[in-house]
Amino acid sequence: MLRRAALCTLLIGLGLAVSTSFSVAQAGEGAKLVVYVYDSFVAWGPAKFIKTEFEKRNPGVEVEFVATGPSRAMLARLVQETQSGGTPADVFLGEINDVPKAKQFGLFAPLNESDIPNLQTVSKALLFDPERTLIPYEHGFITLVYDSQKLTPEELPKTFAELTKPQYQKKLIIQDARTSSVGHAFLLWTIYNYGNLGYLDYWKQLLPTILTIQPGWSAAYKLFTKGEAPMVVSFSTDACFDARYKPLLPNSQGYRTIFGAGIVKTTDNPKLSRAFLDFLLSVEVQEKLPSTEVMFPANSQARLPKEWETCAVIPSRPVMLPLDLVAENDDRWLDEWARLVVTGR
Amino acid sequence: MRVKGTGWVGLLLPVLFLVVFFYVPVANLLREGLTRDGSFSLEFMRRILTDDYFQHVILFTLWQALLSTVASIVLGLPLAYILTHYDFPLKRVIRSLTIVPFVLPAITVALGFALLFGRNGYLNQVLMHLFGLSEPPLPIMYSVAGIVLAHAFYNAPIITRTVHAAWERLDPRYEESARALGASPWYVFKDVTLPMILPGLLSGAALVFIFCFLSFPIVLSVGGGRFSTIEVEIYIRVVTQLDPQLVNYKIGAALALVGLVLSLGMTYIYLRVQGSFARQTEQLRPRPTAPLFVGLRDFVRPTKIFLWLYVLFTLLVFVGPVGAIVADSLWEDGRWTLRWYSYIFTPDYEALLGDSPLRAILNSIGFGLGATALAVPLGLIFASVIVRGRWGGRRLLDTLLMAPVATSSIVLAFALLRTFNAPPFRMVGTAYAVIIAHAVIIFPFVVRALVPVLEGLDLKVVEMARSLGASRLRALREIELPLVARGLIAGAVFAFALSLGEMSATLMLARPGLNTMPVAVYRFLSQHSLGAPSAMSTVMILVSALAFVALERLGERALKL
Repeated sequence: MLRRAALCTLLIGLGLAVSTSFSVAQAGEGAKLVVYVYDSFVAWGPAKFIKTEFEKRNPGVEVEFVATGPSRAMLARLVQETQSGGTPADVFLGEINDVPKAKQFGLFAPLNESDIPNLQTVSKALLFDPERTLIPYEHGFITLVYDSQKLTPEELPKTFAELTKPQYQKKLIIQDARTSSVGHAFLLWTIYNYGNLGYLDYWKQLLPTILTIQPGWSAAYKLFTKGEAPMVVSFSTDACFDARYKPLLPNSQGYRTIFGAGIVKTTDNPKLSRAFLDFLLSVEVQEKLPSTEVMFPANSQARLPKEWETCAVIPSRPVMLPLDLVAENDDRWLDEWARLVVTGR
Repeated sequence: MRVKGTGWVGLLLPVLFLVVFFYVPVANLLREGLTRDGSFSLEFMRRILTDDYFQHVILFTLWQALLSTVASIVLGLPLAYILTHYDFPLKRVIRSLTIVPFVLPAITVALGFALLFGRNGYLNQVLMHLFGLSEPPLPIMYSVAGIVLAHAFYNAPIITRTVHAAWERLDPRYEESARALGASPWYVFKDVTLPMILPGLLSGAALVFIFCFLSFPIVLSVGGGRFSTIEVEIYIRVVTQLDPQLVNYKIGAALALVGLVLSLGMTYIYLRVQGSFARQTEQLRPRPTAPLFVGLRDFVRPTKIFLWLYVLFTLLVFVGPVGAIVADSLWEDGRWTLRWYSYIFTPDYEALLGDSPLRAILNSIGFGLGATALAVPLGLIFASVIVRGRWGGRRLLDTLLMAPVATSSIVLAFALLRTFNAPPFRMVGTAYAVIIAHAVIIFPFVVRALVPVLEGLDLKVVEMARSLGASRLRALREIELPLVARGLIAGAVFAFALSLGEMSATLMLARPGLNTMPVAVYRFLSQHSLGAPSAMSTVMILVSALAFVALERLGERALKL
């Protein structure tokens, strides 16, 4: 009897579940453009503006952002879905260091200027991908950022070597290179300076300086602003958000980070996707990026906010490893790095 | 209710449910760990078992789970003692609230711990101020100690609940007789009380061990990247790595297999312990309780001083992190403010893309109720078959259906994503997917909550009522349901709590419009507005606490308790 009662309840529950799901599923009709993007893009604001404006310009179109993790996780999700029966994604936005690898899966369609007229406006220095499968829409520089209320300019380390001094013990928060594109860029930056053979020795000396390795930029930055450590790996534009937190450029460098957009080969909406990418590169959207993403626009015609002239720092020596070198060695580097930080050996 | 024969039909539903929504998707994913170029191969298994890095990871996983279990017992046991032996104001409410830690997503707990125990946290600041220190004295965060303490924060309530349940049912006459025969209080505890509450303690401890063994967001955030467990490796390799040869993916799948085998083994032990605990004595007299607060003089009695110290420590560990989050949401630049609350309740705030926090609250409750409505009947059917059945292989089946406990929600979500992404069963991004994933996750807990209750149900009473002329419906309504009601409600509330707190799977399977409270916290955390995630977490704590108390009350009224 108890069991039969349970069965009845189950049926009622199922009915309820079905009806709620149905009403939700009914919500969107017409053409839908699905954009896979890293989580902070949605959290910070440009997504909302882009969605509203793009939908206004293309009546009947719905833009849906899917942002369930950092850049790498979204790309991995795209790969998984493509290999297990297809992905709903039309457009992908993500960090460029993973792109050469993604190419090996043949995920994205090549693009050219006749498809995306606004591509002409993109600074040539940013076009790293000769096949243009992913086109840059914003860029910035990974640097260290320090709390100006905790450290004076004289107390700051000037070089990567100085950063390993005992006086900086537990003074730096970084991100996991395996899960965060910021942490990944920082690892690549040390490899740029210490080489394929020397970087592990450098990291061995750096370990005492590191207070914690957080899974993502946001958690790391939150701990930094709560005063857990006076230095964090972040962006050279952070002072534009809060002047208390200033960039610190070891070896006068900043590691370039570029974000690119691509069209998934299997899309049902190639035309709409191209229109979306063109819109993303338009001056209108590009001028929103500094205030929302705190990044530099890729469109050279987009004007920066006035205060950016002083608060946004462009390193005198922007550096970046060649993407094919990264693609070739990245798995090994990440593996060696993880073994070192976890076991200390 | 017929005792024999009906079992198989009833069994079919829960088994089918788990096969379709758990076994097939997860097996589909784990298969990758056992194949190479499409054919069976043990290469990846051999790789992880012989590599000293993975040995380090596996040993650390077991080590931190063991420490966390011990810490949970140390923190949870005295609270069970207090709940059993003393009366105090709001005891029932406090007992319902012990479940609150369960709804908190790990990112919130990590934040609360950092605010309280961090280098610049309240505790270290107070100590530095008091003793004039220049460096923070307590290195709790970013260490094994932090991981263990955070795990205890989550899991000590399980120990409290299981031990309290066993202790309350223990007939006080056993202890009284021993005392009367001259045994000292310590001997009475050691030789009489402890053996009788031990099964409750062990089954709770086994569950805690499994949880800590599988926990990964706490290790990632409170411990940080210098610590790695099996689940952390799986998450990193399966969810975020890309390589065309799928080496990382296959290593991740092989690790998931190792993790699953180990945790299923522990589940089996847990079930055996719980099984041996089932035959309990009939309790004739309820345990006497004494008021906790007697008078001011009572505060300084030596035995009570220990109790107060413990209560203080418990408050620090349980209430502290939650309090720190609430304070963080209300305090900015040295002033009290409600700014973050107005900020998160601003209509169509960008971070959620159309999902206002209000919508997130409604979604959370809707999914929670949906998943509970699905899992409780399924669990009830399965539990009653397990309890009534006397066939061989029953425990094996029971273990196998507990497997969702032994799989982390991120692995489950990823498996569901792979399997239900393509037609004919495309359901990723629908409310079904979220509700079903939650139901799979909570199903084992419902079963575990119901089995002891059903074992205690005396069928003779039901048969008696029937023979005296009560209809089936009446016997169900007036005899069976009230007898199992308390366990049923406790199980349902616990299941509901787990659903409310679930984040990894929801984030992965939901779409805009289907965000829940933990997902909103996650979204607010990934932007610059510092107080917003704390404000959203506070809203979530309040909503969940209210929901628990309301559910318990309503349930008790509906089932005539």
